[in-house]
Amino acid sequence: MPSDPLSTTFAALADPTRRAILARLALGETSVTELAEPFDMSLPAISKHLKVLEHAGLISRGREAQWRPCRIAPVALKAVDGWLGGFHRFWDENFNRLDDYLEELKANQAAKAEPRTKQKPKKEKQRGRKSR
Amino acid sequence: MDARVDKTLKITTPSDLEIAMTRMFDAPRHLVFDAMTTPEHVRRWLGCAELPMTVCEIDLRVGGAYRFTWRSPEGRETTLQGVYREIVRPERVVFVERILMPGFTSDEYQVTSSFADIDGTTRLTTTIRHNSKENRDGHLNSGIERGVAPAYDRLAEVVAGLA
Repeated sequence: MPSDPLSTTFAALADPTRRAILARLALGETSVTELAEPFDMSLPAISKHLKVLEHAGLISRGREAQWRPCRIAPVALKAVDGWLGGFHRFWDENFNRLDDYLEELKANQAAKAEPRTKQKPKKEKQRGRKSR
Repeated sequence: MDARVDKTLKITTPSDLEIAMTRMFDAPRHLVFDAMTTPEHVRRWLGCAELPMTVCEIDLRVGGAYRFTWRSPEGRETTLQGVYREIVRPERVVFVERILMPGFTSDEYQVTSSFADIDGTTRLTTTIRHNSKENRDGHLNSGIERGVAPAYDRLAEVVAGLA
């Protein structure tokens, strides 16, 4: 058994089911029963995975309610954000590119609308640009 | 420009079948609408930085089809294809879509995009509706494995910082 925290964390993350559990928890806390639903696994098997995740500090389980809600730990949330990312990152990157492109379109439109009035000086791009 | 628009992408799951995204754009809505529905514009921003777009066809009318394909250096193709169901320029567009990859074709899902004019800027609200929770979750988690390696790296940094 790995003893340092990093190895424990990585060992916990090495399993795809546990990563899927974290991905689900990134959307919000939930009960074990609900967590188990999408998996073809018994509740005890899921509970075992949860224990590993809890031991690694990736999730915590509430004591307040009888159903002991599972929630993701902030540290894990950062990592999960990275791989839940597929969808989020795809659109975030794309929309950032769209922002740049819209700036181009706006500039083109402005140039067409008022070909002679150039009130906006080109951004100070050449300034402070010495050598690379 | 101090009154910058908040360009944070917000993703929520309003129901078991849906994914909702909202995003502000610092441009009038006709521009945003056109940038998302015209091939020469779409080519310029849609896709992944690493993957060139090899097909970008849009027949922008109700019942018209569109097709976007990206090809990886190894020749793996990913395609998004769909059919427009409703087009109200520059307010709203509704289409059904599926994802095609080698060995995988997704079920169809419906996408509704609304473009709201907020003082000359645009708030885009997109709702994606799947036919099952499994498909919805699959879509939300798409790329989950692809993203694991960089996430591990980040996690390593975070955990190292805690120790």
